[in-house]
Amino acid sequence: MKTRDLSYRKNFTLIVSFVTLISVLLIVVLIISYDLTKKVIENEFSASKVDVLEKTVAPYNVFFQNKIPEISFYQGFLDSASAKTYANAVLKKYPFVEKILFYDAQISNRPVQDGLRTSNFSLGLKALYQYSPKNVTVLFSNDKPGSLSLTNGDEFNKIGLKVASYISNVDTAKVLSNEQIFSIFYNISKNKITYMNVPRREDIKTYKELMFKKLPRSPYYEQDVFSFELNPYKLAVKNTHPQIYQHISIKPLSFDSMLEKPNLVTTEIALPLAFSNFKLYLSSDRAFLNKEVRNRFLPIGLGIIAVYSILLMLVFFISRNLKINQKLFSLQYDFINNFTHEFKTPVAVIKIAGNNILSAKELTDFERRRYGKILDEEADKLNDLMNKLLSFTQIENRSIKVKSEEIDLETFSQNIIDAFQLKYPDYDIQLDIHNVPTFQSDQVLLSSIFYNLIENAYKYANPGDKHLTITIFKRKKNVVFSFKDKGIGIEASELDNIFKKFYRIQSRYNQQGSVGLGLAFCKELVTFMNGSIKVKSKPGKGSVFEVTLPLR
Amino acid sequence: MDYLDKKYCFVVLLLILGCKSKPKVEILPVETFFTGAQQANYQISPNGKSLAFLQLYQGKLNVFVRPVNDTVSTRVTAFKDASIRIVNWVSNNRLLCVKQKDSINSYNAFLINSDGTGRIIVQNKANTKVNVLDAETHDSVNVLITINERNESFFDVYQLNIYTGEKKLFVKNPGNIVSWFADDEGNVNLGVAGDGVDETIYYRKNADAPFTRVISNNFKNTLKPIGFIKDKTHIYALSNLNRDKLALVKFDCVKGKESEIIYENPDADILEVLNSALNNKPIAVTYEGDKRETHFLDERYKKIYTEILNKLTNQEVEIISKDSLEQNFVIKAYTDKNPGSYYVYNVGQRKLLEIARVNPAINPENMCGMQPVNYKTRDGLSIHGYLTLPLGKKKKNFPCVVMPHQGPNQRNVWGYSPEVQFLANRGYAVFQMNFRGSTGYGKAFENAGFKQWGGKMQDDIFDGVQWLISEGIADPEKIGVFGYGFGGYSALNQIIKHPDTYKCAASYSGYINLFNYIKGFPAYFKPYKLMLNEIVGNPETDIDYLKSASPVFQIEKIKTPLFIAQGGKDSKVNVNETSQFVKELRKKNVPVNYILNENETQLFKNIDNKLVFYRQLGEFLDKYLKAQ
Repeated sequence: MKTRDLSYRKNFTLIVSFVTLISVLLIVVLIISYDLTKKVIENEFSASKVDVLEKTVAPYNVFFQNKIPEISFYQGFLDSASAKTYANAVLKKYPFVEKILFYDAQISNRPVQDGLRTSNFSLGLKALYQYSPKNVTVLFSNDKPGSLSLTNGDEFNKIGLKVASYISNVDTAKVLSNEQIFSIFYNISKNKITYMNVPRREDIKTYKELMFKKLPRSPYYEQDVFSFELNPYKLAVKNTHPQIYQHISIKPLSFDSMLEKPNLVTTEIALPLAFSNFKLYLSSDRAFLNKEVRNRFLPIGLGIIAVYSILLMLVFFISRNLKINQKLFSLQYDFINNFTHEFKTPVAVIKIAGNNILSAKELTDFERRRYGKILDEEADKLNDLMNKLLSFTQIENRSIKVKSEEIDLETFSQNIIDAFQLKYPDYDIQLDIHNVPTFQSDQVLLSSIFYNLIENAYKYANPGDKHLTITIFKRKKNVVFSFKDKGIGIEASELDNIFKKFYRIQSRYNQQGSVGLGLAFCKELVTFMNGSIKVKSKPGKGSVFEVTLPLR
Repeated sequence: MDYLDKKYCFVVLLLILGCKSKPKVEILPVETFFTGAQQANYQISPNGKSLAFLQLYQGKLNVFVRPVNDTVSTRVTAFKDASIRIVNWVSNNRLLCVKQKDSINSYNAFLINSDGTGRIIVQNKANTKVNVLDAETHDSVNVLITINERNESFFDVYQLNIYTGEKKLFVKNPGNIVSWFADDEGNVNLGVAGDGVDETIYYRKNADAPFTRVISNNFKNTLKPIGFIKDKTHIYALSNLNRDKLALVKFDCVKGKESEIIYENPDADILEVLNSALNNKPIAVTYEGDKRETHFLDERYKKIYTEILNKLTNQEVEIISKDSLEQNFVIKAYTDKNPGSYYVYNVGQRKLLEIARVNPAINPENMCGMQPVNYKTRDGLSIHGYLTLPLGKKKKNFPCVVMPHQGPNQRNVWGYSPEVQFLANRGYAVFQMNFRGSTGYGKAFENAGFKQWGGKMQDDIFDGVQWLISEGIADPEKIGVFGYGFGGYSALNQIIKHPDTYKCAASYSGYINLFNYIKGFPAYFKPYKLMLNEIVGNPETDIDYLKSASPVFQIEKIKTPLFIAQGGKDSKVNVNETSQFVKELRKKNVPVNYILNENETQLFKNIDNKLVFYRQLGEFLDKYLKAQ
């Protein structure tokens, strides 16, 4: 298992399955979120009606909770004129109040003709006024007793009965609770609210005494009764959610449009007590709702897709890095391979020479010299190889220093050329130096560059074509070293790669004796010396390597 | 070293001096001010040897007796159900007391020896009230009491045998007399009939003659009988008939005319008349302009009073009770900083003996002085007021509490006030003023408040505040207003009219609706209605004024933080209305601190409720007036 752990793994299937998975997820998430959006809209459609109702009946609530109880503040002292002021204010501010009846009432123990009498308690009517936005009408006045019509007296009698029955049972030691006030002094029926001002505790006591005690004729105690006729259709509908409700209207409780418009999505909510036979009817076309679903879904969908794209990008970068790492891995593998080969030859030669020496009974002078030379040369080769490897890693790690010394380019170059011509008698090297006698640089590093480039030019040329022209000239503040050969050239597609480490063009010219480090090494050196290296090449014609180094 | 030591000594010395020169005023707890009197109602026995008084026993006021010369007192009664309201000596060792029976409207009386023996309960019907008319026995056996036994709505005069407790109908009420007057021989020949608005004085020559009407006045004038003069046909009375200020006059009951002015002060009403039963004549009158003044009509009393004052320098002295020979007096002496003490003064020996302090928890040195002030209103009226500044070197720029008085037909007086001292102790300048409509400055001034509750009376208060700011006394950024009854109503009106001047307002059972206030008076008396129409406003014709003057209609204008305390049984305020008022204000996000005590009336009687109220009031004011 351990070997398996450390072995190289394939990633392709993993990546593919990951991409597939997130793609499937994308689709699922898109579907689910679309469904959810739809649900949310549906829920909102049925839930937001409360908001609409609240906003729509807000003025009614103010009217009911503030303006109606205000009547009590007047303690029964309202008369035709002051009631008119009050009524006009109500009619003006609350358009859903269509008509107001004001019963100017009196409580006493005297017999009354119009009104209510139980035991000795009578709730009589002084006058009845009707206020509407346009006019004021006197519907009844106690100058003409008995003229109160049944319809007009109806609301008055209802609340009168409630109050009288309350007074007959009241425990005057207790404070009136809000619930009691609501149930006794309000009478709420279809589109009508009738209200009597709440008497003070002492008044209620007095009224109770009037009811049950035989007292002399009492004075009249003023009470005010107001009856408000309401028109639900005049409630101003406030559509707080125009994006989900297309139409909102006030309809009778029995209204239903299902038959005429099957495509209409509808919901409804009952209006408060006084309007209890009416409802708020809210509807939208299905298409309208779907549009809203799409509107809502769009940003969500885009968001999901954005996340998906980011994931895809990450996958791409990861797989790219993996690929590069894999390449690097195989390069290193090749390098080790090559390098072993490189070492193998000299080692084998040394071994053969050693064996020969060991097995020979006697060595002739010639043989001794030959073997000695072989051993010396091969040892040099090994040494050279090791130096190369060592300096390469040193340069890569930037652990050496560039020396700055005066180099006589003519002598320097000629020495190297001489060495090569000694090594390869068939190598034709021309040297051309223009106007650059000396140059400040590190002799060892520069010679490394020379060796590598000259060696390569020889290696990658067909026999008979082993020509090299070295030109050294000044360009601006730089010295340019140009190495022009007539070798096999490099394919344009390979030009980018030749300076990479362990890269070797697969060709018959480098079957052996090369590790693919040469050009990479040159490039490292040149960069290290603040210069640059460029190559131009035509396959079959030859290549030109141009090294540019700063003069100083 | 020596030098250093000296230096340190100097620094320490400076520190000590620094601390000394700025004495930090200690904030006293609420209990100190409001826990109230432990002993009250000192009565001296006819022979001047014993004192009877009321003191708490098991939470209720009971009767105690002590000799004048000894501090050891004996408890005479031990009631745990209700407090004793009245205690009177009827002889040198017998007491007549009145106590609440079972409901608010029911009082009974009993007789008891000063050693606690011989208790006899005076029998009276359920739901009737006993009152003491004359506790002096002119025949050594009978005193006079009144009871509404024949008819709940009026009182008859009875003779009560102090030894047997038997009562005998003495004078039958013709049906309209609300108060009776006895002369020095125990005859009851004078009565005042009234319905709370109009008053009629009835007089008869003797017990056989019928009562005849002497004179009638309406609510704008006053003729208040004080007592009979020797000839039995003249009375002396406080009157402002045909004059602006109440004066002490002689009134002829036969002719129905004023016969002589005994004393009149050009600036102020006579508030009190001190009688000498011995000489059967008024001996002194008091009135109050800036401070209480006493004018003597009798040289002997003037001398006695001067002698007492020599012993109690710079104190206000009131006579509470005197013995039959007027040789021993129970007096109360107080100042603005001192709630006062009770003393017994013996005229013959010129000996002053302290018997009790009203509130021993108060150290007068820690209290703040009250100074009378005057200012002019925008329409040129001169208003008397009182200003109490906190202790300390600072003389200007105080946080200030404006305290309009209740009534409005009452007044602020100079003297010790627990409320004022409570606020001054907490660092507030307390400003009280007698705005128009207040009593004591003549009827024109009082009547100037008619129908001006929400108008000029409020302007008077505001003009006072402006004056206080212009004098540099009040920090214009730290002014609050607090009052009860009409004062609370004023507090609300002030913040409605001048929301920028006041940072907060506290209303203690303040009226919030004048319609309701008007409704609080009996509806069946037309005179009442007419009086209210004139004083407060006519609820039918002045509806716009009454609305503008009623805070409950002005909720929209209220933005100032409020503190509202209300008793559930306050007859002048409808609690449901107050609760709704608070609810609406809270809906508007006006901060309201609301205390509702269902079982209290206008002013909280329960000591715990009272303490909670004042503690919260202090916190409320501190929150809005002391924050930087």
